[in-house]
Amino acid sequence: MRVLVIEDDNDAASFVHKVLTEAGHAVDVEGNGESGLDQAQSTDYDALVVDRMLPGLDGVSLLRSYRDGGGRTPALFLSALGDVDHRVEGLTAGGDDYLSKPYAPSELVARVEALGRRSVGEAPVTKLTVGGLEMDLLARTVRRDGQKIDLQPREFRLLEFLMRHAGQVVTRTMLLEKVWDYHFDPQTNVIDVHISRLRGKIDKDFDAPLLHTVRGAGYRLQA
Amino acid sequence: MINRLPALVRTTTFRLALVHAALFIVFSGALLVYLYSATAGYLGRQAGSELNAEVSALSAAYARGGFSRLNQSVIERSSARGPFFYLLVRGDGSKVSGDFDMLPDDPPEVGQTDISFDYEARSIEGDVQRKSAAGRMVRLQDQGVLMVAYDTGARGEIVGRVTDVVWTSAFVGIILSLLGGALVSRWAAQRAEALAKTAEDVMAGDLSRRAPVLGSGDEFDRLSERLNAMLSKLERLMVASRHAGDAIAHDLRSPLSRLRNRLEGALTEPVGEAREEAIEQSLDELDAVLETFNAILRLSRVQSGDSGPMQLLDVALIADELSELYEPVCDENDLSFHAEVKTGLYVQADRSLVAQAVVNLLDNAVKYTPKNGAVVLRARRTRAGDVELAVTDTGPGIPRGDRSRVVERFVRLEQSRTEPGSGLGLSLAAAVADLHGGRLELTEGAGGPSGPGLRAALVLPAGQKTRQD
Repeated sequence: MRVLVIEDDNDAASFVHKVLTEAGHAVDVEGNGESGLDQAQSTDYDALVVDRMLPGLDGVSLLRSYRDGGGRTPALFLSALGDVDHRVEGLTAGGDDYLSKPYAPSELVARVEALGRRSVGEAPVTKLTVGGLEMDLLARTVRRDGQKIDLQPREFRLLEFLMRHAGQVVTRTMLLEKVWDYHFDPQTNVIDVHISRLRGKIDKDFDAPLLHTVRGAGYRLQA
Repeated sequence: MINRLPALVRTTTFRLALVHAALFIVFSGALLVYLYSATAGYLGRQAGSELNAEVSALSAAYARGGFSRLNQSVIERSSARGPFFYLLVRGDGSKVSGDFDMLPDDPPEVGQTDISFDYEARSIEGDVQRKSAAGRMVRLQDQGVLMVAYDTGARGEIVGRVTDVVWTSAFVGIILSLLGGALVSRWAAQRAEALAKTAEDVMAGDLSRRAPVLGSGDEFDRLSERLNAMLSKLERLMVASRHAGDAIAHDLRSPLSRLRNRLEGALTEPVGEAREEAIEQSLDELDAVLETFNAILRLSRVQSGDSGPMQLLDVALIADELSELYEPVCDENDLSFHAEVKTGLYVQADRSLVAQAVVNLLDNAVKYTPKNGAVVLRARRTRAGDVELAVTDTGPGIPRGDRSRVVERFVRLEQSRTEPGSGLGLSLAAAVADLHGGRLELTEGAGGPSGPGLRAALVLPAGQKTRQD
């Protein structure tokens, strides 16, 4: 993936650069709002990572101008202000995701990769397939190797999210945000429990596991 | 320049008084014009029409009987001592009859012309007075001239009186409005000064100062009340942030020192597994510190009244979602989970905060309830009409004496020290309840083998029942 990082703080920028480069992505860095906007408009990227506080043009205004100019590359806001209203403001300005500092490197990579995938699959999908696992989004049914699997509505949404991001690492926080729409971290291992239930349904009776735990980061659905 | 004016003159009220005085002058002028036209103007028009009647009567006499008939009429009318003066002259200007000796002005060659002139009149005592008159000269067909005039002195006198009255009252009015303005502005300046004094005291550091409220409910009282409300909120925020600072300093110091020691230890380890492990442990510890830090920030924001969008929430919806989220968690921990959710409960609330508060209560129940215990989530209406979200467990409970203490920041009871957690969960739940005008109730739960259990209830005021659907 080709990623543009717009971040004025040198340490933070080189951290993001390092993390994303190590994850195998091509990363450009811009240090202020105006040059960042120019760069985003003149080059074709798969994802933008925008700091909310920037000298000159702040992140929210930058993204708004970018969207008004027809730019469609998905964007992730980075911010020290992690409160709900700031998040909402970022999302209404045309951001696709929001990550507050400090964050784990794996969280950043997972979210950026989730964004990149989104920009590819724009056409409405009615069927998702990972290995022998098939999900029919219209009939709301799931089969593995032709065998029907019964899922609760929430389990269905959890699996749908995992399948849409098949091959990528998704973090617990991402799952809580995207599947349950809660923006805080519970103290207990709520997500692990739901994942292990799901695993019991889609992996238990089959030979090769599809749902993998990625230590220190989250989960990955992969054939 | 402006600052050299006395303070009184610089007040807004005094400027308003000046504007009033100016308006009063304009009003007096208008009144003068009106009164003039209603009195003197009326008299003038009246005299004009009488003059017309007089002239046409004499013209009629002339038409009927010629010069001699006219002469006779003039003599009769002149001796009748009416309001009019007359003069009839021949073509060469010599007087025939009338009250004057000669025409005051050149007569018109033909037709008639209106005139006004001054004349001298001798009173009975022999004093000479200058008087003014107005009238009309008419050229007769046989070259004679008839003049009819009337005295305008009475009219002038009325005009003079009216003008005097209007000017005198305008003067008194202006003086009164300036005086009133000065008094009102002095009063307003004093009230404003009291507000300014309060602001100064607060700036000097006395946050407990409040602006005086006289109880009259006027605009100054309303301003004072708002200002006082603002100061109260400010004071609360200051105290909250000071507490947060103290708490951070106090509670983060020990994990940070631990972290430092561990990293220092790692530095002396040879490169290898032990070193890696030390670094990994340090990262875990650092994550916990950051977690606590975030929790403190979140708590401070909630305590300072900062919330997301408030909306009408169906409590049953949240309770159902959280049941679904926590039922498997309880199952995993060998606890039975049960939800009793009444429908039709609405609160005006921030969804995320309420959910987070209840999640904290559920987290606690799961953490502290021993195996084979039970956790119950209830949503119902209290007898007082409030909406209650209660989590009941069969754990050890919280001793009565500790219940008010555990909602304070970082307070963790002895037996819970070993469990992971920041000691901010109940504080946040209490702060969320507070933010919504509700409360967090801690009582004994269902009871079990390990203790009386705990019942933690988030009690929120009911929102408007908008259930027309």
